Amino acid sequence: MQLLWQILVNGILLGGFYALMSLGLVLVWGVLKIVNLSHGSLIMLGAYISYYLFSYFNVDPFAGLPISMLTLFCLGFLIQRYLINFVINAPMFNTLLITFGLDVTITYLAQLLFGADYRTINPDYTGANFILFGATVPLVRLYAFGVSISLTVILWLFLSFTKIGRAIRATSQNLVAARLYGVDPRLIYALTFAIGAAMAGAAGSLNGVISQINPYIGILFTAKSFVIAIIGGLENTLFVIAGGLILGVVEVLTALYIGPTYTNLISFGILVLVLIIRPTGLLGRTA
Amino acid sequence: MKFHNIVLALTSLLMATPACLADIQLGASVQMTGSLANTGRYYADAYQFAVDKINAAGGVKVGDTREKLVLKLLDNQSDVNLSVRQYVQLITEDKANFLLGPFASDYALADSAIAEKYKVPMIQGGGASDQIFSRGYQYIFGTLARATDYYQSTIDALLKLTPTPKTVALLYADDSFDVSVADGTRKILAKTPLKLVVDQKFSSNSSDFSSLLSLIKSQNIDVILVAGHETEVINLIRQAKSLNVDPKLYSFTVGVPSADFRKALGNDADYACGMTAWLPSKDLKDEYFVNAQQFADEYKKRFGYDPDYHAASGVADVEAFVKAIQAANSLDPQKVRNAIAKLDFNSLYGRIRFNASGQIELPQTMIQVQKGKLVPIYGPKGFIEKPVYPMPAWSKR
Repeated sequence: MQLLWQILVNGILLGGFYALMSLGLVLVWGVLKIVNLSHGSLIMLGAYISYYLFSYFNVDPFAGLPISMLTLFCLGFLIQRYLINFVINAPMFNTLLITFGLDVTITYLAQLLFGADYRTINPDYTGANFILFGATVPLVRLYAFGVSISLTVILWLFLSFTKIGRAIRATSQNLVAARLYGVDPRLIYALTFAIGAAMAGAAGSLNGVISQINPYIGILFTAKSFVIAIIGGLENTLFVIAGGLILGVVEVLTALYIGPTYTNLISFGILVLVLIIRPTGLLGRTA
Repeated sequence: MKFHNIVLALTSLLMATPACLADIQLGASVQMTGSLANTGRYYADAYQFAVDKINAAGGVKVGDTREKLVLKLLDNQSDVNLSVRQYVQLITEDKANFLLGPFASDYALADSAIAEKYKVPMIQGGGASDQIFSRGYQYIFGTLARATDYYQSTIDALLKLTPTPKTVALLYADDSFDVSVADGTRKILAKTPLKLVVDQKFSSNSSDFSSLLSLIKSQNIDVILVAGHETEVINLIRQAKSLNVDPKLYSFTVGVPSADFRKALGNDADYACGMTAWLPSKDLKDEYFVNAQQFADEYKKRFGYDPDYHAASGVADVEAFVKAIQAANSLDPQKVRNAIAKLDFNSLYGRIRFNASGQIELPQTMIQVQKGKLVPIYGPKGFIEKPVYPMPAWSKR
């Protein structure tokens, strides 16, 4: 019982990070109707930014979060405005190809620039933890969880209650009507992609603190984000939290009770099942 | 990546042009980019270093002439299918005389089939899985110690430690090399009083070990033995720290001997154990590099990072070809193959002598990171230095 409680705590903390990890992908997918396969490599870039800030300028990774988010925001804006925007109305296959190409380019540029060495962001407090009803709660994971949930909620508030946020949602729901109301889709698309990239940057920074960094970590993030997007659906960013938590908890339970080799099988099995049973997402509205 | 390839192609072109046609072409496809580039670079650099050194010493004596070695190096981008295609290309289009291996057992397993099919000898220093050598192939030779023996020295040492450890957890990745390690370790453990309590396979590239670590913690297991990849080991150690998992000792098949692994973890790398079949030493004499220590120094100077056993093994592969070609006095693949099978010489890597299945027999030395430095703990002759055992709890570091 004690073990199960500990495992659930692990899973929930992992799930919080998963939510932030997939947030950018879900947002861009929902609004631009593009599955951004370079999402994971943006996370990787965020991780490197925090790593260099921490290693060379002694900036705490949590304090450095806004810098990595802002950098990725700008990069995301440029990528959308001057690259993806050219194929925005092209068939899905083209956008998949272009974002895949972008992923490969960013990954290999990262190897040229940063090398293939493994890196970690290792501030003094990485080992700190406390006991909650008998379960060990690692502090950094809890911080990462807190930041993830906060950013997701902030994004939800932004999309729900600000003018730009409403314009973003309007563009997503009905492009023609949004245009008639004076929304400039080019700007909205670029902004959305930029916000998605900023979220990816934040996820990357947190990943550097809890895991490790190398130029090739991106692909797994993209794959897992995809699963979460399918579970949570694309309509509501708050559902992404649920999607992340479900995946996190399922993964740790699988590792304990079925075996750690089966975690990917189960997570991607869920993806297939959801696609068959509820193609609009487990939590999304049915079509 | 493209740029990388072009530069590489140009350099190899420049290096190849002045040489005459009779040169000895050594072909290799190595992970220079992609997820395994971190370890793949040891082979790319070691092969080049050895070839340059041997050429500078006059090349290879065949008959009355001395031939230069030419290294034809391709980047397999950490893609095993591409690697197989590149070895076919090396043989059929580039007319490589002989083949040097890629890194990692999965690759060596697939690529050696090409060597066998075209009957071109391959000496590889990157794959240790017993599977590579259990298929009765004639043209594949390996200079890494057998995967199944990796934990032998560690377990020998465990039995002599006080307080004697009682329980063991074995965690391993699901690739060819790590499965071989686990199979061997299980057999070794069965002959000891040590009890294997947790025996779990995880998927390669796993990043979350919290369930396994919580399980190990809840059962208060004394020793964790891990067979996995560096990324997984780094994650596992960091998560052990954050969850206060404090075994008396833990050991890993990879990472510990590599400088960048210790750098990535900083102080957290301390007390991690591992094994290596090679440590730079003046006692390991070599025809071209004088001795292993001098090799390590020159390597660091040239490439900017410390070599580990992967690099030494790579150099041994090139030297083995040179010795075999000279012994065969021919470039005929069949004759050279037979000469390789009969080789017996000392190198900076150790004694090179292949058994009937083509694999080398090399004892592993158990090592431990102590205050950021690698310390040899237990070798074939018993304890070398004292291990820090039981390792201090995370909360007391």
